[in-house]
Amino acid sequence: MIANAAEIRKFSVLSLGWLTVIFGAVWIVCWIAGVFIPACLANSSFDFAAALSEICKALTPLLAVMVFIPINAMFMVLFERRGLALFTLRKGPNRVGPDGALQTAADAIKLLLKEDITPTGADALMFTLAPVVFFAPSIFGALPLLAAVTNNHQLFQVVNLPTGIFYVLAASSVPVVGIVMGGWASNNKYSLMGGLRSVAQAISYEIPLVLSIITICLLAGTLDVVTIASQQAGGLLNWNIFGGGALVGLSKAIAAVISPTGASFFDIITTYYPYGWWSLLGALVLCLSTFVLFGVYITGACAEINRIPFDLPEAESELVSGYNTEYSGMKFAIFFLAEFTNLFIVSTIAVVMFLGGGGCPLPDWMNPLCYPAIYEPLTKLLSPVLWFLIDFAHLIDPATFWAALWVISKTYTLIFFAVLVRGTLPRFRIDQLLDFGWKRLVPITLVIFVLVSFARGVINFHV
Amino acid sequence: MQAFGGIHQVGRGLKTVAIHTWREPTTEAYPDKAPELPPHFKGRLALTVNPDTGENLCISCRQCERVCPDKCIEITAHKSPETNKLELIDFKIDHGLCMFCGLCTEVCPTYCIINTNDFEMADYTRSSLIYDLKKLTLSKEESAYYFEAKEMPLPKPKPAKPAATEAKPAANAAVAPEAKPAAGSSTATVEAKPATDSAATAPPAVNPVPTTESTKEPGAQPTSNEPKPQASNETI
Repeated sequence: MIANAAEIRKFSVLSLGWLTVIFGAVWIVCWIAGVFIPACLANSSFDFAAALSEICKALTPLLAVMVFIPINAMFMVLFERRGLALFTLRKGPNRVGPDGALQTAADAIKLLLKEDITPTGADALMFTLAPVVFFAPSIFGALPLLAAVTNNHQLFQVVNLPTGIFYVLAASSVPVVGIVMGGWASNNKYSLMGGLRSVAQAISYEIPLVLSIITICLLAGTLDVVTIASQQAGGLLNWNIFGGGALVGLSKAIAAVISPTGASFFDIITTYYPYGWWSLLGALVLCLSTFVLFGVYITGACAEINRIPFDLPEAESELVSGYNTEYSGMKFAIFFLAEFTNLFIVSTIAVVMFLGGGGCPLPDWMNPLCYPAIYEPLTKLLSPVLWFLIDFAHLIDPATFWAALWVISKTYTLIFFAVLVRGTLPRFRIDQLLDFGWKRLVPITLVIFVLVSFARGVINFHV
Repeated sequence: MQAFGGIHQVGRGLKTVAIHTWREPTTEAYPDKAPELPPHFKGRLALTVNPDTGENLCISCRQCERVCPDKCIEITAHKSPETNKLELIDFKIDHGLCMFCGLCTEVCPTYCIINTNDFEMADYTRSSLIYDLKKLTLSKEESAYYFEAKEMPLPKPKPAKPAATEAKPAANAAVAPEAKPAAGSSTATVEAKPATDSAATAPPAVNPVPTTESTKEPGAQPTSNEPKPQASNETI
């Protein structure tokens, strides 16, 4: 049927296996730190028990991120290599472990054991600090997103800042400093060139990136990532990519038709769209605008994290890997880790801001159609297990579980798309890159910003 | 308008690449599965034998030695005092020097020296890349395979007839003349065993020993070519 079915199956099995390992590990760590240890301490009588359990709970988000990032980066490298192999009619790494599943683990061990070289004439302090400056923001920048992707779980409310997305964007613009530091300190002209290019690129693409996010914040009326994510709950039509809430009224009206609750179709429509044709026009403009904004965000994010086709700072063929040239061993591993973590973070931001966060893509009114008749008996059959997992051990919080599952699948879909783009597009030239940023993306986002602020007036949001 | 054209082009590109997902990889699973090489592949050099009689086809004319640009072929031969013909004592090819140009195979008048499909010659020392007559000589089956695959004319059966008639005296004499060149020529003293083998090759009827014994290693290659892929396909 499909000529490549075997390879696709291997790729899927490998991805699912790795994802299970990654998120299982994070889940267990969070459970131990946030539930198990406090529960054990609750019965003990020594003085610091309460304080210690509070510390454990407060450390949970940090532990989750620290466990998650290295394993996830390892998987993403493998995911990217196997994905690219699918697109380029190859097989990819398939020798280490079952179907090459342990390839990147082996690579990581190799990198950690390698000699750490500081080149002659390099500024040793800056050279060492550069990977740290590059990597640290991806840890502390990811924290507010944790609250959004776990549906504001009790353990992660600590990291839920009121200015969440602002903080994330601020943190994600720091790594450029690390690149310039690394480029300058390497005492190598290619590295310096890479660092300088990176600055030019980051300045040009930060603006459309932030403008697109700001526009979404304008539609949502908040900077809080948890609120933005929860506003989009309830299906595809509520997502920010489709009008930023402009279709919520439509979704509710359809729901009223399918399962009558008293409110009629036209009542709901007139509540949400009070100005007739003007409201329709506004909704259309919003849908189109947010869709374009999503494209702009993805483009800007690709440039921001130096992904192909915007990988000018590390262009292998021109700059022999740019700022990476002189790095080896552990420091190179940290650069590598941070790069892939950044890809994951921008994808998560895209999911939270545009693709409904932890929400199921199916609208709520489709639930009775989609859940088959076996769902109820299955739940009953598994009820002892579920009772143990949910109520007794507190191992699974259903709301968090489903939210996390959806976020993971959406994020990895976006990452897969990024791999597809990498397999397709050639690298930009530096002048084309700057042209594209300043002359196309910035005007587009500014125009959309104005359009959206007007169109927003003719529709009622989140009534 | 130009922008839409650009987006359209990018979209087409993405679609093309995405469709490639459904195509089978062109990668060959090399170590698991032997590659299917054409018969004219210029691999390791080897010496054929007559597929019917097992007689070494080399007539020690030294044309290959002369034409070799790398000077990697070294032939040791002597004139047999009885038949007054050249007799091969040893044939050495240094595969560390060989550049696989195939000139020696082109000049060979008896289609004796050929390029085989074997290319796995990795070894730990340079000296082990120097193949002697024993390692170079192919078995009857292999020779038959290459004669057929490369579409070379089979050796004429003509020399076989006088050899068959002289089988008895040659077999008797095989021991006696062997001692003389071994003592007389300087090269043959070092390697007594190949010398006896090559001396014994003259009567084809008597000696199945060198052909069967010497070519165990390369013998696995062409014969196992066909059954191997099927077995390894399942394991992949």
